[in-house]
Amino acid sequence: MKRPDLDDLDRQLIAILAQDARVSNRKIAVDLGVNEGTVRGRIKRLQQDGLIAFTALTGLKLDKATNIAFIAIQADVAQVRQIARDIAHIPMVKSVMITLGPFNIMATCLYDDLDSFHGVTSGHILALTGVYHIETSLAVRTVKFSNRVVRITDTRTDGVG
Amino acid sequence: MQIRSGRSLTPSSLDALDNSIIDILRTNGRTTNQDIAKQLSITAATVSARLQKMEDARAMRVVAVTDFAALGYNVIIAVGVKVQARSVQAVGHDLAKFPEVLSVNIMNGRHDIELLVALHDFSEVQQFLYDHIGSIAGVAQIDAGIAVDIAKYEFNVAPL
Repeated sequence: MKRPDLDDLDRQLIAILAQDARVSNRKIAVDLGVNEGTVRGRIKRLQQDGLIAFTALTGLKLDKATNIAFIAIQADVAQVRQIARDIAHIPMVKSVMITLGPFNIMATCLYDDLDSFHGVTSGHILALTGVYHIETSLAVRTVKFSNRVVRITDTRTDGVG
Repeated sequence: MQIRSGRSLTPSSLDALDNSIIDILRTNGRTTNQDIAKQLSITAATVSARLQKMEDARAMRVVAVTDFAALGYNVIIAVGVKVQARSVQAVGHDLAKFPEVLSVNIMNGRHDIELLVALHDFSEVQQFLYDHIGSIAGVAQIDAGIAVDIAKYEFNVAPL
């Protein structure tokens, strides 16, 4: 992970699109005092480099899955990367990190009801070869939640549809 | 009046067409109304009206999301916090004030609070964990899991 070369124009562009990604290139160009082709080119480059993506966020209350659970996993070190990828493919799982510490994978899951959460933990994750132990905990209240920072990968579309 | 307007768009009032539009925009939020219309065999005017309705009802927003790397965040840490002699809620609110703290959840499990922290490089880890988080009244103990790889991190929901 390296710090990419973003200039002021990139940052201004990202700030505008973070508020509303459906603003036209023409309006952005006028607001920033550059021409439309520059805006189009910059957006394309930022997307191609995997630095930004455009997505729909739905209201937490309107989304069926509103409950957050944390899953800490102890897995066989030799298989940890494959196991993390397998877990990342579960649509209800929203984040998967390989970590240093008492657990080597930390995942978060948005669930509708405890039954479906149990399906993810016992039915799916514990059933993976190389997973030794998991500990789960449930969020009872979310104080802060930033969803504007993400990991842009080609698995992005897996959860859709 | 307020209760009525607050309930004007319940999950059941997002119909199949609304959800199809949302699905397309989740994959690419800058798909044009014309392209959405073509994919769903409806008119661009319908797409535009549905989008307007969902945005007015604060049911959906289309935004740019940024990769950790674009912001120069190279170190991501999951931090479990144990709280003593202070309300967990109050500690959570204090921790939420740090811009480096991306999320704060109050938990029922081993830790009272789970944080996700993003830092620029390893030299900041010690100072942030011990001087900043450790200095908050009520923080008794912290367990840190330092991320060496992020296989997935995407949340498509937001308090709107």
